[in-house]
Amino acid sequence: MRILFLVAALVFAAAAQAQFRMPNFDINKMVDTVKNVGKAVKDIDEPEEIAIGRDVASRLLGAAPLVANPGMQRYVNNVGRWLAVQTERPDLPWQFGVLDSPNVNAFAVPGGTIFITRGLLERMRSEAELAGVLGHEIVHVLRKHHLKAIQKGAQSALAGDAAAAALRDRAGPARDKLIAFSTEMYSRGLDKSDELEADRLGVVIAARGGYDAYGLPAVLQTLQAMNAQDSALALMFKTHPAPAERLDTLSEKMQPVLDAYSSQPQLAERFLRQVKK
Amino acid sequence: MRILALLLFLPLVAAAEPATVIRAAELKQEPATDAATLATLPESTAVEALERKGGWTRVKASAGEGWVRMLSLRFGGATTAKPGASGLTQAFNVARTGTSGTQATTGVRGLDAEQIANAQPNPAELAKLEKFAADRDAATSFATQGKLSPASVAYPK
Repeated sequence: MRILFLVAALVFAAAAQAQFRMPNFDINKMVDTVKNVGKAVKDIDEPEEIAIGRDVASRLLGAAPLVANPGMQRYVNNVGRWLAVQTERPDLPWQFGVLDSPNVNAFAVPGGTIFITRGLLERMRSEAELAGVLGHEIVHVLRKHHLKAIQKGAQSALAGDAAAAALRDRAGPARDKLIAFSTEMYSRGLDKSDELEADRLGVVIAARGGYDAYGLPAVLQTLQAMNAQDSALALMFKTHPAPAERLDTLSEKMQPVLDAYSSQPQLAERFLRQVKK
Repeated sequence: MRILALLLFLPLVAAAEPATVIRAAELKQEPATDAATLATLPESTAVEALERKGGWTRVKASAGEGWVRMLSLRFGGATTAKPGASGLTQAFNVARTGTSGTQATTGVRGLDAEQIANAQPNPAELAKLEKFAADRDAATSFATQGKLSPASVAYPK
């Protein structure tokens, strides 16, 4: 099986090379190419992660701009940054934005950019609920869920050397393709296991920040109560497990943590004050 | 002041949501395990959820009013989804339309799969996003104002 995979990889890498000529087939060179592409895509370091994230964030902002409410934007940044400080990556250039869209959704971009839609924010009732959702998104960044999906996908989306070129050269056409591919990933979603992990660890992060840990489950119940046919939910429901399954998993795996930190503040008043302005 | 406080709490209590008990649950007098049990609600009991406190939800059931474990409820009745009807949504809409009206300047508002897949870079908005970022110190004093104390909580295995 492994050999088959290697052969397939070799053929793929070979096909990707413009000067592919069977008679001059140089197995050593080919093995090097496979190694280089694999390495270039696998070893995305932190500055590169941040650079890719900026480009992807810019595109998502092309799909929906920020809500024109600086007070609200700063408020969400404060909540998010406070939570990020409680994690193993406290010094990423974290930034949080409320997107002006009625759709209900949130997005985590590699390198520390998190978006939440106005549609989701306006269905929340407290800062603890906001913290629960931001905690979930922060986990995607911490665990590099999207970055790994980009790495995996880039090798098939961009043939051979192009993937390496896209990372080396931040302005070329290969780069554009990489970013377009990475952005498109947000319309397809992550693995279910990544989403469920983000739920479990997101609850922990909200609790670390001093919030009532039931914020995320409360939001999931709100989503559950909405009409699943509502078009505002379409993409979120397509890219995430159903709220019922997420709640069951949290209840099964996280009940002790949830209960231990359930009497921490919800900060409903501060939330409503800031979000209504 | 009292009225203001009442108004602020309104969305928490006003929106009674239909819910169903998904596993048999004790109806408690207070939101606590050791509180008096008023009744046991069997699976599939229909209730109205009134408010949440930690892991407990206050409900109105035919057996009476009390608190059940939040995660023993499933929200959404058979017919009753009321999208956008919460108090906050209304307040939000009032705030939006009250200030500048609906700003129809940007054309594309949605964030559906197709719009994301075809999105073009927006460097002007990206610059704004960076401007709103909070540094560590600002976030820490924000937390202090909210009386949030960090807790040491381990990730689950």
